[in-house]
Amino acid sequence: MNQNTPQRRRERIDRGIKVRCQGIYSLMSWREMTYITAPRAALIAGLLALPLVMPGMYWQRVISIVCIYALLAVGFDFLAHFVGLVSLGGAFFVGVGGYLAAILNTAWALPPIATIPAATVIGATLCTLLLLPCLPLRGVYFAIVTLMYPLFLARVIEALDILGGTDGIMGIDGFGGRWTEQYAVIGMLLIVLFAVRRLVNTDIGLVLRGVKDNDQAIRASGMNVTRYKALAVFITAAMGCMSGAFLVHIYMWSGISQFALDFSILPIAATVIGGGGTLAGPVIGCLILVPVSELLRDFGTLRIVFYALILVAFIVFRSEGIMVYAQRKYHQFERWTQV
Amino acid sequence: MLEAEGLMVFYENMLALNNVAIRCAENQVVGVFGANSAGKSTLMYTLSGIMEDIRRKAQMAGGERITVMGRITYRGQDITNFKPSRRARLGIVLCPERRRIFKESSVLENLRIGAYLASAAQARETIEYVFDIFPALKKLKKRIGGFLSGGEQQMLAIGRALMAQPKILLLDEPLLGLSPLMQAELVRATRQIRDEMHISIIVTEQYARPVMPIVDYAFILENGAAVMDGRREELMDNPDVRSAYFGVQE
Repeated sequence: MNQNTPQRRRERIDRGIKVRCQGIYSLMSWREMTYITAPRAALIAGLLALPLVMPGMYWQRVISIVCIYALLAVGFDFLAHFVGLVSLGGAFFVGVGGYLAAILNTAWALPPIATIPAATVIGATLCTLLLLPCLPLRGVYFAIVTLMYPLFLARVIEALDILGGTDGIMGIDGFGGRWTEQYAVIGMLLIVLFAVRRLVNTDIGLVLRGVKDNDQAIRASGMNVTRYKALAVFITAAMGCMSGAFLVHIYMWSGISQFALDFSILPIAATVIGGGGTLAGPVIGCLILVPVSELLRDFGTLRIVFYALILVAFIVFRSEGIMVYAQRKYHQFERWTQV
Repeated sequence: MLEAEGLMVFYENMLALNNVAIRCAENQVVGVFGANSAGKSTLMYTLSGIMEDIRRKAQMAGGERITVMGRITYRGQDITNFKPSRRARLGIVLCPERRRIFKESSVLENLRIGAYLASAAQARETIEYVFDIFPALKKLKKRIGGFLSGGEQQMLAIGRALMAQPKILLLDEPLLGLSPLMQAELVRATRQIRDEMHISIIVTEQYARPVMPIVDYAFILENGAAVMDGRREELMDNPDVRSAYFGVQE
């Protein structure tokens, strides 16, 4: 450029403490230990404290629902950003897991502590088997199939009048106390969140990210792509089925509304708002979206209008997502430099 | 005709182009040579305005911040802040690296898409011309783009760029991954385009030898900086350039 008009640009620099925290020596300083653990501790403490600060039963119930959606959203984020499969199957997983837990509970009188793990494993296996045919393909097939199954299953239950038909299955055991219910869901969410975070950094996670980037290269390396995809779908389905099982025990009722598209769409919106590929972002997205949609109930039919406006505004003005933005601000600072 | 001065492009804090000045006169073929990561593609994206698009997408996704500085003038008009579509309307057309043809459309459809800016008569005329300089394409008219060989795809990419009625054509590594025979064919076509359509051409390449015969003036990029420039003969006489970009051992 012409030398007499100096130009400036904003540059982003990693904070000194972030760089210092990258080595093992960060364990030797309290400041750096705090820097590493503070965000995680804040999330854990925040979630654990939520039931205590909520004003009443109603809002405590909302927190449980937030966690259910958060489980689904973490699953969606995992599948979309680490495996490259866009899943619209939240409703499918919730429905399968929910009905399984309901059947196990009413037919064999198993307590929730047994039905939830059983529904998780059996449901995830079922979902994976049903989705297996479309796994070798790339593209929209997976999204479409996962979208079709819940519609299909709901209509089957309605038309054949099985599993309680349109009335659903009633008389399911609850958790026997709202505190147990709250902390069971929150604890599960935290475990799942940190487990998935771990998983994506292991060797399997590496392969899965490779599948997202270039599945032909993974095939050429001698790995069975479909098997890895099935594994990822199993993990996601397990999370979804578990949230479904929790849901029926919270509501003490299982019905075809568990196949409602809300369970597919809201996790995606939460991932967009929270920041895709961060795993913690979708949880934060759910913490915002679910209460907002409850608050908007006062507006009646206009609820959806406001809800949509908030979503669109987010995508226009902060499309990167809250978590990506926050991470950047936490790790980096900006300053003007002379070019 | 097209002139850029003080071009600086930062990918976050990495300097991809450092104070690059480049110019291309009417009816001239200008070569830009450099190794991988020298900044050739960045330069082409910046000249064609695609960089602005890349910058906005990276910003939306929360990725790295791209900063572009400098001034680009085209026929005396400052086009630094013009969008890529507006630059294409002025006649600055990019034929991107790795061809980027529409893989699911046929050859003819690919050419028609490129003719968005042309009138119907111009389009008909240019299609004839493209088939004239690339006879191989004529036989493959109905073939789907994705099934063409690398060389045919490159011909198609150049043809598609021609359909936009360029005044200046930016060819980004047109010879990438092609056989020497195909390279010679494309170089011949490039010369023909310049001679017959009077289009100025900026061509980037890693290895200068195949395109040097048609280049009037050349710039050499190293690590984002234009370290040397000169007419063909001047560069050919420089022993360093000869060994680095022509593979001539002295």
